[in-house]
Amino acid sequence: MSAKRRFAVVTDSTADLPDEWRELYEISVVPLKVIFGTETFRDRVDMTDDEFFRRLGTSTKLPTTSAPSPGEFADVYRRLAQDYEGCISIHLGAQLSATVEAARVGAQAVEGFKVTVIDSQIVTMPIAFLCRVAAECETLDAATAAVEERVPKCRVLALLDTLRYLEMGGRLSRAQAMLGTILDLKPLLLVEDREIKPVDRVRTRSRAIPRMVHYFRGDLPVQHVAVMHAQAPDEAEAMAANLRIELPGQDVAIGKIGCVLGTHTGPKALGLVYIKK
Amino acid sequence: MASRRPAGVDGPLFKQALLGSLTWLAANHEEVNRLNVFPVPDGDTGTNMLLTLQSAVEDIKESNAAEVSKIAKLASHGSLMGARGNSGVILSQIFRGFARAVEGKSSLTPRELAVAFEEAANAAYRAVNKPTEGTILTVAREAGRAAASAAGDSDASVPGVIAAAASGAKAAVLKTPSQLQILREAGVVDAGGFGLQLILEGMLKTVEEAESFHVDTTAAKPKAAQVVLDLPEGGWGYCTEFLIEGEDLDVDVIRGEIEAMGNSVLVVGEPELVKVHVHTDDPTAVITKAGHFGKLLKLNVGDMDTQHKRILDSEAAAGRPPRANGVGLVAVVAGSGLVDIFRGLGVDAIVEGGQTMNPSTQDMLTAVDGVPYDEVILLPNNGNVILAASQVRGLTKKKVHVIETHSVPQGVAAVVAFRPERSGAANMAAMKDEAARVQTIEVTHAVRDTRSNGLKVKKGDVIGLINNRLEFAGTDYAEVVNKALGKLGPDAYELVTVYRGQGASDDELANLESAIRSNFPGLEVEIQQGGQQHYPFILSVE
Repeated sequence: MSAKRRFAVVTDSTADLPDEWRELYEISVVPLKVIFGTETFRDRVDMTDDEFFRRLGTSTKLPTTSAPSPGEFADVYRRLAQDYEGCISIHLGAQLSATVEAARVGAQAVEGFKVTVIDSQIVTMPIAFLCRVAAECETLDAATAAVEERVPKCRVLALLDTLRYLEMGGRLSRAQAMLGTILDLKPLLLVEDREIKPVDRVRTRSRAIPRMVHYFRGDLPVQHVAVMHAQAPDEAEAMAANLRIELPGQDVAIGKIGCVLGTHTGPKALGLVYIKK
Repeated sequence: MASRRPAGVDGPLFKQALLGSLTWLAANHEEVNRLNVFPVPDGDTGTNMLLTLQSAVEDIKESNAAEVSKIAKLASHGSLMGARGNSGVILSQIFRGFARAVEGKSSLTPRELAVAFEEAANAAYRAVNKPTEGTILTVAREAGRAAASAAGDSDASVPGVIAAAASGAKAAVLKTPSQLQILREAGVVDAGGFGLQLILEGMLKTVEEAESFHVDTTAAKPKAAQVVLDLPEGGWGYCTEFLIEGEDLDVDVIRGEIEAMGNSVLVVGEPELVKVHVHTDDPTAVITKAGHFGKLLKLNVGDMDTQHKRILDSEAAAGRPPRANGVGLVAVVAGSGLVDIFRGLGVDAIVEGGQTMNPSTQDMLTAVDGVPYDEVILLPNNGNVILAASQVRGLTKKKVHVIETHSVPQGVAAVVAFRPERSGAANMAAMKDEAARVQTIEVTHAVRDTRSNGLKVKKGDVIGLINNRLEFAGTDYAEVVNKALGKLGPDAYELVTVYRGQGASDDELANLESAIRSNFPGLEVEIQQGGQQHYPFILSVE
């Protein structure tokens, strides 16, 4: 496959790209950073998600996150320029992070190498699906067209165990009005159209999961779907198993929420992420 | 000795009779309060009935109507607006039935008076979904029967009929413990029934005095707190209230004129006396306009910006964009923490009240009319407020849904299920469903020695109620909560939310929390500052 392909595929660590896809499709991943106090870790490089959540549980102060620098992107593009004519660089939504901007600035620093930067407007595994779609195209133009066509169809349904982390990370403003912050509600959020929208709010987890699946059914049919989790593998497995029964022939992936996204979701978050048909 | 036997009950006599009822009930309402069977601190029946009766006579004091029908109608309107608690609402229905029975009559014969008493009882029965014998309903009916029997005598007189009604009521009150087990266990008679007996006795005293020319026209003011009707509402302008006195006043025409000049309009009354309530930013124009209809009395204009005392409009609500579904939320809540929680969940207006202070129908009506939506969901959050809340429906042009939430946890569950993008009807269904799923445990101290639900309770004991039913008594909060959670069966639930009240210390809270965590490790525990009075802990189990 890569023998034929003349362009590279680049993303960032918030795509929560499964390791096997990374190898199979030869996708380059630029890490964002998680900062605990004075210590900085590259997402999924210096710290695994398991280590991250362990540390999150014991840390008195919440970590912060930061985008890769333009220079880090430039380094990656420069390295790829040796083997490829160009690349498609698909990233975390610009409404959520400066990563896309850093990629654009980094790309300008590398001459003679065509970089198409895509603002996915989304977070986590829909980006991984977009990368896979791009990797299966033969030309950069075809990949760009295929990805851009799918960007507006990407959705993330997230069930958080608590709003605390999202609130402290400053990503809550728009959703806040409806959610109420005194009671510890389990919010069901939808990322679409560059916004985080509250869809539902529930007091207990066991009631929230069926609500999330119910909402997802309203968006069927889908071309790609995955169940995401932060330290909740059993619930994710059970959800995926039910979806496989409900959607015969549909591949249902399971993904783990990484450190950067985990900083904002907190532990025990569950997600249903998909690209609509 | 020449004595004037009142041949019939006309307007002035009925007015005096009702003022007499008020005086007598005011003097004795604490006795009624003491009869509450439940050892929990809740809305006292005597106080609720007194406040309702006070509201009933409020407008009558200003009226010189000669016809009994007009006085009765004013009492019916006034009591409906001021109805508090279940017994207050039933009392308002008694006045309503009486007013209907005497419609068009200027004076009542003894026989007509007895018929009106019977009709009053019938109306009260009709107002209640599941009438229970051994309550104020039974007492009203027996009073009516006794009156009818006395009216059948050849020498029937007005005082005779009222005396028969009062003694019929008294006999019925004494029988209530044989009809209701909870009264028998507690060793008391029914409080609401006793309140009605006092009202009839007050009438009798006045009428007997009238007979011997000893009418005390300056009836002593009752000591109980007056109902404050000029409620603050958020929004704009001036809360303007007055009465119009005139001849052949057309309530509908006046209402039409006033409605064009403001909002939260309430215009009720009779051709001789109309009560007007409106929020307007030009009170002078309203007053001028109203002056064309008749003489204005009891004019009261309040700047609403300075009146934010009892209805606390959410600051957040003011900044929120209007809701897509056009449905507003109003909740009855007491306790600063709980008020904040309900506001945070999106409630537009809070009516302060609940356990010991039951808000009146008027309080809730004002809040409903004050929110900027034509459809409103109202959450009473207390069993003793539900009936008064449901009266709001007939008093406003707005579409009002009442979700029968019996407790704070039920109210929270209902509000959590509210979706701004969903219609009022769809929200109602979802909210009812959620409210029904939640189990409520309330922990308080017994306010009196009693027996209830097979439990012997001493004043001061810690008592635990599950879904408003007394289940456990003990000496320690944690112990009572443990028993209650054990009875619910913790395996069926995953989350306990503890709303801490004013009476609970940090140590007591810590003890309770660690007891729940160690005895029920499968349950998640969340602590919230409720700030409610009288109930150190309210727990929501879901």
